[in-house]
Amino acid sequence: MIREFLVWLQNDLGKGAGDTAQSWSEALLGSLNFWGLLEGTHLLALMLFAGTILVVDLRLLGVTFRRTKVSVVSDTILPLTVFGFLFVVVTGLGLFFAKPVFYYHNIWFRLKMIMLALALLNILVFHGRIQRSQGAWDSLPKPPGGVRAAAAMSLSAWLVVITFGRLIAYDWFECGKPQPAFINWAEECAISEKGAVPMAPEAGQPK
Amino acid sequence: MNLEEFFPHARPWVENLVNVWPTPIVKPQFAWWEVAHVVSLITLGGTSILMNLRLIGVGLTQEPPSELYRSLKLWQTIGIVGIVVTGVLIGMANAERLYDSAAFIVKMLALVAGIVLTYGASRPVAKADGSVSVASKIWFVIGMAFWLAGLWVFATGDLISPGVFHIITAAALIVLFAVRGRARLVYLGVLIPMIVLQFVWTHFIVKPDDYEHLNPVNIGFAWAFSAWIVGTGLFQLFRAGRGADGGPLTKVIGYAAILVWVTAAAAGRWIAFA
Repeated sequence: MIREFLVWLQNDLGKGAGDTAQSWSEALLGSLNFWGLLEGTHLLALMLFAGTILVVDLRLLGVTFRRTKVSVVSDTILPLTVFGFLFVVVTGLGLFFAKPVFYYHNIWFRLKMIMLALALLNILVFHGRIQRSQGAWDSLPKPPGGVRAAAAMSLSAWLVVITFGRLIAYDWFECGKPQPAFINWAEECAISEKGAVPMAPEAGQPK
Repeated sequence: MNLEEFFPHARPWVENLVNVWPTPIVKPQFAWWEVAHVVSLITLGGTSILMNLRLIGVGLTQEPPSELYRSLKLWQTIGIVGIVVTGVLIGMANAERLYDSAAFIVKMLALVAGIVLTYGASRPVAKADGSVSVASKIWFVIGMAFWLAGLWVFATGDLISPGVFHIITAAALIVLFAVRGRARLVYLGVLIPMIVLQFVWTHFIVKPDDYEHLNPVNIGFAWAFSAWIVGTGLFQLFRAGRGADGGPLTKVIGYAAILVWVTAAAAGRWIAFA
């Protein structure tokens, strides 16, 4: 059902009459400059978003700004992080809209979405549980182990999100290529346009 | 404009770079080097934005600029060394494409400008809590010359010129953060109608696929946006005057030291598009 919706989004939404008419998604992907501007803005917004998260997490790890209260660093920097995140999300949705079916069957995109959910969950856990005791460690150069562990998790999660995001561009596991059954299952290749092609058994191995 | 125009006899050497160590080792792991390049860019971006916003007079204003310098200098250097090392390795594996790319010229000019402005102007000024020495002024002029040369190539290059809108957008957002009170409302009150007007003009008055007529309209808007953003920025600089953390030149260095890295990152992306 999700795939049908994405196919409609890609091929039909906004499509006018006539053989050469394009859907909005096709027009976006085929645009000479707009798609490039969107992708470039996605990267630049990531520099603001992830770059400011990095600094806040380094403070929580007790690595930098050790003489500055955690609350001063986070209260000042996090509005910039949120602003960057909004740009990342808006441009990311635009990029997704240009090729929704491609992303749907891309394993890196799926893994990225899972990691993104975990990274956001980590933020909720931090604000809901760890930050409650902030008064006790706000001025400490090196916050307690639990805080540092949450910061390390945050940094790792965003690093993995960024890594998976970059790997989306690589077609190593594209549907239609011979690949392990697990990958075909994880990408739902069987219902993709190119289908699921199982790996040929190596010579000498039983079929 | 591309490297072939300057070094026409270098093509065989460029073509052979793919066989030169360490490219044969790098090429199979190309994707991972690209990831490292992006992570380095992010590290550089976060540290440069915060340190230079402080020079402009916004962001982490509870601490003096020298404290931001002290806390961020190592990470900023890690980011810069990271983009240079991973950039050289990626570039060697992709040398022919870069040899023919105008965006690569922009990226290299912005990289040189970024290093000069960061190490010659922005960091010494932050370390001195906003005071600009003669040496910093000289490095600032040199860095600006490289950056403006890069901007000129970006703005006049075939197929890459739309990338200039990245820098205009970044400048618009920094000015938005920097101006306060009624000036911010006036700034937005002009900027937003300009954006709407550009959209209407380039979608309804001129058809989006009519590139012949679209190009001069977009160039006109790029100039109009730049004039309004730079004008408002200058107004804010001189109205604020000389404060405890430096004067207008300190703030100009802050603006330039952010936008130069935006230019380098944007040009890097446009290598892939044109």
